[in-house]
Amino acid sequence: MGKKKVMAASFTTSRRARELLWLLRLSSPALPVGAYSYSQGLEWAVEAGWMEDELSVAAWIEEHLTLVLGRFELPLLAAALRAWARGEDTEALRLNTHYLASRETRELRDETVQMGYSLVALARQLPEFSGLPLEEREWAYPVALSRLAAALRLGEVDLLHGYAFAWLENQAAAAIKAMPLGQVAAQRLLSALSVLIPNTCEAALALPEAAWCSSAPGLALASSLHETQYTRLFRS
Amino acid sequence: MQGWKATLELGYDVRHHRTQLVHRRHSGPLAVQKSLHPEGAACHTVLLHPPGGIAGGDELEIDMTVAPKAHVLVTTPGATKWYRSTGTAARQKITLRLAEGGVLEYLPQETLLFDGARGANDLQVELARDSRYLGWDITALGRPASAEPFKAGHLTQHCTITHASQLLLCERLVIEGGDPLLTSRLGLQGHRVLGTLIAAGSGLKRSWLYPLRATACDGALCGLTLLPDVLVARYLGDTTEAARRWFETLWATLRPLWLDLPACPPRIWST
Repeated sequence: MGKKKVMAASFTTSRRARELLWLLRLSSPALPVGAYSYSQGLEWAVEAGWMEDELSVAAWIEEHLTLVLGRFELPLLAAALRAWARGEDTEALRLNTHYLASRETRELRDETVQMGYSLVALARQLPEFSGLPLEEREWAYPVALSRLAAALRLGEVDLLHGYAFAWLENQAAAAIKAMPLGQVAAQRLLSALSVLIPNTCEAALALPEAAWCSSAPGLALASSLHETQYTRLFRS
Repeated sequence: MQGWKATLELGYDVRHHRTQLVHRRHSGPLAVQKSLHPEGAACHTVLLHPPGGIAGGDELEIDMTVAPKAHVLVTTPGATKWYRSTGTAARQKITLRLAEGGVLEYLPQETLLFDGARGANDLQVELARDSRYLGWDITALGRPASAEPFKAGHLTQHCTITHASQLLLCERLVIEGGDPLLTSRLGLQGHRVLGTLIAAGSGLKRSWLYPLRATACDGALCGLTLLPDVLVARYLGDTTEAARRWFETLWATLRPLWLDLPACPPRIWST
């Protein structure tokens, strides 16, 4: 009996370790999906003078996280993961279509389609996903990611934290280039904002689909005006 | 409180080279005030909601069907007001179905959402492959002088467009009274007027963005974007008149390009 217990414990530990490693890998800025080339309206907001220091850029990113991601992208990511995990592919693909149709500007739509495409193309070449059917389609990035996460049996709390942190780190990196902001200032920004992730994820998990809000007029306008910004570093 | 229940069902078809209102069924306070043909083939319809405002518990349902090659322009004689409600929410559901070659321009006057209003506004457009929809929505929160235009209440704005049964656009705005999204830079930025103009269907060209972007707009923020088979213009500012002026200019620019017709403003707009 003692031996059984030890085996169970090591199984749990190894499973948890494997989950954590995958979560780090999928959330890494080195994941070759091109996230670094998108600022999601931040570059235009800087150009427009909406933020001029560390505090105002932190406010923009905080509100983007809590009012936009937390009210649509994160609850949808969780719903898509649950659907794939239960084998409800039709429901997951409905969410894929829903996410694409909710992109408010061409740049935001192109961004998710390009990142979804790159992630699926990558997964097709990795041994872990060799048996996973990944059809040719326009993939929304969060839904493509949830497909892989479901295959790896990642939990929804883990996936949402990983996704939100990767997004936050990418926004900080965009601020470094667009503002510009120093490396230490960007790390201070992560200190201030990463603590908001747990509550944002918890609220997202509790939000029923009828309360999802995909519309953010100020962000949509910043993103549509970025299309004609004269000099720009980012593709969104 | 028991609210009004009103439904209006309209069907349009082409008879003798002109679009005619061939089917009409209504119950409760919703009616067609006029159907005119100021430009020949297209049918201009003025929709009337005699109570003039929507109160808690009211349910309005408008259902319009446009037959192949029919062309309909719909407007309203005045602003739609959503009154303060302490109890149940009011809802308006508009369903627009366009058959092959059908054209529908849905250009109502503005919606005024009073502080404390509770409403769900649902627009669903179903396009056949070769049909075209051009519509706008101008929503003002609270009264012009109010510093906090929407302290209490609830608004759900939902717009869904399908094209040949594929979901093309799905916009959901959910705002509670006092919501941080009302003042956030990413949300309404403290402005009270939000306008959205949408053109959806086949044949929209990227090059049209140049003349459309060259139009003058005196809002706080105005922007255009072209998604697959959907063109969206957004206005964020403080007056419904400015939103309306810009949208009319965009409409007058887009109509000759896309519908091959000069702008023909409904007479009721100038009265």
